[in-house]
Amino acid sequence: MISSHILSWIVFLPAIGGLICLVAPKKQIKTIAVLASLATMLLSLTLFSTFLGGADDPTEVFGQSYGKLHHVERATWIELPGELKIEYFLGIDGLGFPLFVLTTVVSFLACLASWNFETWKVNKGIRAYFILFLLLETGMLGVFVSLDFFLFYIFWEVMLLPMYFLIGVWGGARKEYAAIKFFLFTLGGSVLMLVALVAMYFYSGAAIDQAGGSVASGYLSGSGTALTHGTFDLIELATNPTIQSYFSAVSTTFLGIKFAPIMFIFLFVGFAIKLPCVPVHTWLPDAHVEAPTPISMILAGVLLKMGGYGFLRLCYPIFPSGGQYWAFTLAMIGLVSILYGGFCALAQSDFKKLVAYSSVSHMGYVLLGIAVMTTAGFQGAMFQMIAHGISSPMCFFLVGVIYDRAHHREINRFGGLWLTMPKYGTLATIGFFASLGLPGLCGFIGEVWVVLGTFQAGSNPEMPWAYAMAVIAAAAVILTAGYILWLIRRVYLGTEREEYKGFSDTSSREMFILVPLAVLCIAMGIFPMQTVFNFTNGTLDLMLTMMNNGIVSVAM
Amino acid sequence: MNLSELAFALSPELVLLAGACIVLMVGVSGGANDRLAVPTAFLVALGALALAVFADPDQIGTVSGREILPGLWLNSVTLLVRLTALSFGAVAILVSWNQPVARERGEYMAMILFSLLGLLLTASANDWVVLFFAIELVSIPTYIMIALSRTDARASESAVKYFFLGALSAAILAYGLSFLYGATGTTTITLFLVSETETSMRFASGLPTTAMIGIVLVFAGLAFKIAAVPFHAYVADVYEGAASPVTGFLGFVPKFAGFLALIKVFMSIGWELPTSLFWMLWIVAAATVTTGNVLGLLQRSVKRTLAYSSIAHTGYLLVALLVGPLAGNAGFMPRGTDAILFYIAIYGFMNLGAFAALTALQTDGRDAETFEDISGAARRAPGVCLGLAVCVFSLMGFPPTAGFLGKLFVLGGAFSLRPGDAMHGPMVTLAIIAVINSAIAAAYYLRIVAAVYFGTPTTKLSPDGGNGPKWALAGCALPMLLIFVFPAEITKFSKRSAAVVHSITLDAKKTLSRSSYKPNSSDKSVRLTADHVDHIDP
Repeated sequence: MISSHILSWIVFLPAIGGLICLVAPKKQIKTIAVLASLATMLLSLTLFSTFLGGADDPTEVFGQSYGKLHHVERATWIELPGELKIEYFLGIDGLGFPLFVLTTVVSFLACLASWNFETWKVNKGIRAYFILFLLLETGMLGVFVSLDFFLFYIFWEVMLLPMYFLIGVWGGARKEYAAIKFFLFTLGGSVLMLVALVAMYFYSGAAIDQAGGSVASGYLSGSGTALTHGTFDLIELATNPTIQSYFSAVSTTFLGIKFAPIMFIFLFVGFAIKLPCVPVHTWLPDAHVEAPTPISMILAGVLLKMGGYGFLRLCYPIFPSGGQYWAFTLAMIGLVSILYGGFCALAQSDFKKLVAYSSVSHMGYVLLGIAVMTTAGFQGAMFQMIAHGISSPMCFFLVGVIYDRAHHREINRFGGLWLTMPKYGTLATIGFFASLGLPGLCGFIGEVWVVLGTFQAGSNPEMPWAYAMAVIAAAAVILTAGYILWLIRRVYLGTEREEYKGFSDTSSREMFILVPLAVLCIAMGIFPMQTVFNFTNGTLDLMLTMMNNGIVSVAM
Repeated sequence: MNLSELAFALSPELVLLAGACIVLMVGVSGGANDRLAVPTAFLVALGALALAVFADPDQIGTVSGREILPGLWLNSVTLLVRLTALSFGAVAILVSWNQPVARERGEYMAMILFSLLGLLLTASANDWVVLFFAIELVSIPTYIMIALSRTDARASESAVKYFFLGALSAAILAYGLSFLYGATGTTTITLFLVSETETSMRFASGLPTTAMIGIVLVFAGLAFKIAAVPFHAYVADVYEGAASPVTGFLGFVPKFAGFLALIKVFMSIGWELPTSLFWMLWIVAAATVTTGNVLGLLQRSVKRTLAYSSIAHTGYLLVALLVGPLAGNAGFMPRGTDAILFYIAIYGFMNLGAFAALTALQTDGRDAETFEDISGAARRAPGVCLGLAVCVFSLMGFPPTAGFLGKLFVLGGAFSLRPGDAMHGPMVTLAIIAVINSAIAAAYYLRIVAAVYFGTPTTKLSPDGGNGPKWALAGCALPMLLIFVFPAEITKFSKRSAAVVHSITLDAKKTLSRSSYKPNSSDKSVRLTADHVDHIDP
């Protein structure tokens, strides 16, 4: 039973844990939450068996074209006969898999990081905290495996609620402002996504009507499935030739504008806010600064990845010509995010804010890599997401460790911490160097791949600007090195300070969280193929092939 | 049709009428009997609800119904309204369990029942005069309810304000209806386009000026009931003055009646709206959503905020209302009406739930009103605040609540025209305006949630508004979550009902074009039920 519905089990296991927390005695709640997230993680690791063969036999694992899914679960959820069909449709491929596993790992570690809940400034409501935490995990996991647009949207939105309360109730001084800002920004983006959701449903219906009212499925070709009305199936929308040619046709317009570019933008805005990229990034520093440490870890480690995942799952495969049309604008936004995030990080005196702005900069690479639509760009963006998903929770936890002891985050008031806390200093150096992109650590591969991909795109006659962008993006690494090295000097190096002398080094619980992250940072830097690329590249390459076949040049 | 059959078919209405009279008598009989009035009224509402479910000799839920009396046409819409209005009424009585504070409970409860009776009759009315009376039967008790709900001057002020404006709107409505009568010579709504003795349609070349004036005036009169711009100015003041349970009632019953009447107006003209009227309604809808949401942002009191949210919801419903007639042009696709019937039923409960929470949270011995009043309430009344949060997120249109589905259906209706249709652009623009507004609205809805969960608790607050409001709140919040997961039956029901009001005139037109229209004037029920069944999805 578990093996046939494994995705459902993984997605809803945290929620079941949450239900148990609802009735469990107060003292056991932490244990139950940690066990639930641990079980979720272990269960998700079993999925590796599906994808391990990816390097030797890519066709077997990733299929011959985009749309090969594993562990598929389909059931009709809401149906109005002849009109509307919303499915409970879960499935996993090389795009969702690494992010899915990343989510379970980061959630487990963040749950452990919540173990000292009683010592927090706001330490009331332990039951509510862990229930919301587990619901959040369910929401995040759902996003990465839902392949019905409606279901995806529900998970996407529902996930906001626990996050809103987690920041708003257990946050810092300006928690209310930060929580509402986070909520409104994300919601603002997702209303346009809702418009796109409805429009794509009705336009795909129109495409099928035009083709005679019944069209064979694009990727389930062997099964004889036929479409008779609009669909929310994300894979179908991307692979069905009838729908695709209607979507990208020049004569298909939405409010007088070509359909593909406008829909691409409607979807893009929602994901760009989540990513986040300049100029819609302003919620991120606020949310991070106010959120408690474990929530910051989740926010940086998983939530930001949803933006990038959304680009790769929705925007590009479904509207490749939209991606082509907006390539320059998007790449430019990515580049500006890299630079602006870097400069802002350089200017921060708050430890946590610095890490938050470094996230903006790192996510800029993701957008740049995707926007140029090359193999290396896509692969690099994906790698960068996973790498950042490991290194940034680590950095946020490192900040949390010192905040628990010093109760402030002023970078300039620290100094010489390596001498006081040698184990902490060593791990912090690994974490921040990984974020910096030091060769041999995880941050390096992603950035290099993205720069390579951007350079590759320069040979495309439509993207002559890509060379210049590649050069600037590569040069921006200096900026990253600047703020990270300066940070390390101010906080960890220098003479030992009197006020921090009594600080205990990292406890065994803290080591238990930091060491796996540090190991992953190193492993991903040395074995990029075995840790990430082998699992993702198959799907990404097939997606690119499909997109290149489907691109129709659109002029607005 | 003999008298007993008639009584059976109309049993929910009759029980409501008799019950209202009994409750009134219990109330005025004095002394401790005053307390008895509330449970009696509750039982009356439940009894009528049970009759609506079980005593359905004509199976009005499954066919296009029958005209059992001249001017009363029972159909699937009637059943839908009976079920929603009566269950709403029962919950509203629960909210008012300890209301009003003065000893006028009998009168107050009787007024609730009378107003519900008016709503039920509005749903079945097939005659302009019956419709007018039904709407007034909805409105007049509400004036009294506001005045009775509190003993302070503010309640009297808002009752007077509401009464005068209401009387004015009734006059405008009656004036408009007289034009509609003048244009056709009949007061029967379904005979507006096709009379029984003629063999061709009236107004084949478009509506005459008389009818246009009539429709505009009727719309103006009804715009007051549904709180649409520019007849919305009273809403915040009246809501603030009345006690919370009454406010929750006011947000739903008159609005529902108004929309039912508007649906009937569109039905009478065969769902073909002249372009000028389309643009008038388009502007009204856009202005209503925008005004409601933008002004909602500026409010300091939770009640006033919810008042503007009520205006905004009227705007969303107007978007759906516009889709109905357009669909009539484009083919048989009653998605708009469908969405209205689904959404307004949901809206009634989520709105009432919010006011039930305000009733349950007492500050200084009165209902909570401002954001300061409810600040930090989650610490003291976690259950009430959870219910409030569910209702508020549903009002926001956020999953996993039924409000999200409502929003989605409205949006879906607006998009349901095929790309390329002349009205596709305007409708999609309107939908986008509505959607952007729903994001603006989130800002003020979140303030309510933030106040109860993130605010610092005040000492004045006590969650002792009685158990009635708490049960009512549970009765409003739980369905919001359940309907989200299992919406199929309700959507099918609203779809079927929408199909009924769309089928009549379309079918009449189709029959006419085949020139084989044989009116059977001796038995109206036959004319209305014949052959329409196949147009309705089972």
